Amino acid sequence: MTSKTKRDVLEKHRDNANLNAPSPAQVMFSQNDLGADGLIRPLDERIIAATVEALESGQTHYVDVPGIAPLRDAVADYLREFSGAAYEQGNIVITAGMQESRFLTIQMIGAQFDSIGVPEAVHPGARKALGTRARKVATLPVDASAGYLSSVESVDAAVAGGCRLLFLESPSRLSGAVYSGEQVAAIGEIVNEKDGAVIWDQGLAPWVDGDYASLAAQDGEAARVATIGEAFPGMGLASWFIGFIAAPEAWVAPMQSQKQIQSICTSTASQYGALEASQLFGAARGQQLASLRQIRSRLSQLASEGDLDVLRGAAANIIALRMESGSEAALATLRAAGYEATDGAFFGAPDVVRLNVTNTTADALRALV
Amino acid sequence: MSKKKKQGTNLLYDMIAEASAYDDVIVMGRGDPDFDTPAHIVDAAKDAMVNHHADYSPPEGLLALREAIAERVKRVNNIDVDADTEVVVTNGGQEALFLMVVAANGPGDEMIVPEPNYTTYADSLAFAGGVKVEVQAFAENDFRADPADVRAAVSDESRSLLLVSPNNPAANVISPEDMREMLGIAIEHDLIVLADDIYDLFVYDDFEHLSPASLPGGKERTLTLNALSKAYSMTGWRLGWIVGPADLMARVRELKAAISGGTSVISQYAGIAALTGPQDAVEMMAEAYRRRRRLVLDALDEMGMAYGVPQGGQFVFADISFTGLDSGELAQRILSEQHVLAYPGSAFSKDRKDYLRMTFLQPEEKLREGLERMKVAMADIMAERQ
Ligand SMILES: Cc1ncc(COP(=O)(O)O)c(C=O)c1O
Repeated sequence: MTSKTKRDVLEKHRDNANLNAPSPAQVMFSQNDLGADGLIRPLDERIIAATVEALESGQTHYVDVPGIAPLRDAVADYLREFSGAAYEQGNIVITAGMQESRFLTIQMIGAQFDSIGVPEAVHPGARKALGTRARKVATLPVDASAGYLSSVESVDAAVAGGCRLLFLESPSRLSGAVYSGEQVAAIGEIVNEKDGAVIWDQGLAPWVDGDYASLAAQDGEAARVATIGEAFPGMGLASWFIGFIAAPEAWVAPMQSQKQIQSICTSTASQYGALEASQLFGAARGQQLASLRQIRSRLSQLASEGDLDVLRGAAANIIALRMESGSEAALATLRAAGYEATDGAFFGAPDVVRLNVTNTTADALRALV
Repeated sequence: MSKKKKQGTNLLYDMIAEASAYDDVIVMGRGDPDFDTPAHIVDAAKDAMVNHHADYSPPEGLLALREAIAERVKRVNNIDVDADTEVVVTNGGQEALFLMVVAANGPGDEMIVPEPNYTTYADSLAFAGGVKVEVQAFAENDFRADPADVRAAVSDESRSLLLVSPNNPAANVISPEDMREMLGIAIEHDLIVLADDIYDLFVYDDFEHLSPASLPGGKERTLTLNALSKAYSMTGWRLGWIVGPADLMARVRELKAAISGGTSVISQYAGIAALTGPQDAVEMMAEAYRRRRRLVLDALDEMGMAYGVPQGGQFVFADISFTGLDSGELAQRILSEQHVLAYPGSAFSKDRKDYLRMTFLQPEEKLREGLERMKVAMADIMAERQ
């Protein structure tokens, strides 16, 4: 068929580099797939029981657009207890996973600002979300020695240059690096001064070894920060696609409208599963973090013995390496040994590979040494 | 009680909130089937939680589900698709709808939309920056959109043609003859066809549903959506799909990855069970809707309401102009006085203030009771007019 309309549509999409940005898989394909965002974790029987009970009692119908009330409460409680951010039920939108959280915040909060500042190294999901509708983007330079975070100075320069909305990850989804309490306070001040706003991805925060500073927990910042992340990670729900947005109510309204337009509500099975997970999360996280920390410190040691350059990172669930020969050669070596890792090029860091911290990661590292 | 005048979805949300406060409410509003999901589908979800809870699914969905979808659209709709490259699984029909509209239309592009129609189409088009070009249809013709009007609506900016059959809220089914003509117009003017088959299993009397993608020259320019929500009573599972030609579907896949990534594997396994398991529950529900439709139409006849005969779907869109009330006011009075929720036409379009949408999605006894109460409300309203 020679259809000009179709050719136009396809060309428009083909030329959209953001939309077509390659992205890591969302869930590990196998135990040797160390490149996916989501880990394969066991699922507690209590989560299965609670989800089945909900389904069997007729929770198979549409539910409220922003999510079932008890889960919104559970997410607000979690954010308050875990990172000190003052969110309530009305601030929470439950999403069909982390990417929907990125999309709704970037597009709907983004629509209220002229431009959005995005770090040069960022999860490609942010670029994909930007690619769905033309947005003016300011690229924030990143500092490789700081685990590819944008420095406070870069944030300051972008905001001073008129870019009042920022998308920031802490921990970085590439390296696991976090902003310190001091840096977070400084970012808060910069943004506050210019009446700006931040979309703050803290999805990896539960795996931070030590103190974690959340931007929304800064004095007065909750009114200008949308916090996003996976709902209760590490609980075996990665393939159930469940995430959250916590934001001032004035921003919740347009995001809720758009959520209605694009998916009506989030799957009830995922929501009731996450609700039960919220009860078990505190204890499970402690155990997982201890085990991840142990594995990761062994991995760091292995890497330094093998002269590998480990990026600065505080999240215990990932380890990122800077490879002088570039990510491609390292990925090929890993693949030959039967392992997959994340290509840093997807994030904007072509000399980095990222590996999930699991029981098989040490063997993968040995292949690289 | 005075209410601020609200429009569209907000108005509906206010009414839904009010309705939920009445213990004895009868809901003939939202398009959510009253049946719970059949037990064997819930069992499959349970099995998936035990055996497949962490399965990897690419953005386009599990291959086993895409194969079941390919088989389904061949069997029911006579559309040939390759499960590998021509199917994308979505978070319900709604996400399919949004993806389809955004994939086909960009800023300034015109989408031709027979009206009345499901309002999310206009909302999605607005996101894409496209322009809606309306073609009106009315109750006296059972909401048939005339292909001649569609042809007249074509301009240099036309990019796509929306065909929702059976339709929500109008319940019209595009006849095979009209469908051929619609596709002919799309081919002649090089439009992408967006087909919504979500109610395709609910077609009444001798009416016939035809998918444009099944016609010669159709598939290569048509994106067709469907979902398990309505047919299997699975609205809460959020499972739908788009099928279409591989080139357009590759773009739909990227958009899906950008908007939400993947789809819950638990819902996907439930979906496989729905599509490949026993179909008697679907047939039972379809039969119930046939009976209920008759019940509703008989009651509307008694009330003297004109309507487009619902040829398919789960609704009736009735003309309430004889009451002299705006549909928002009428729906509000029926709700406040009789605790029956029906949707005002004004929620669908500013041009449809004279209509009321009622669903068949309540058990027969309840539906009967709801209709009796509506008769009381209407009698009161008409008495006030004397
Ligand atoms: C015409 C039409 N398309 C799509 C949908 C979306 O349905 P769902 O997302 O529940 O599958 C609806 C829901 O009412 C509809 O009426």
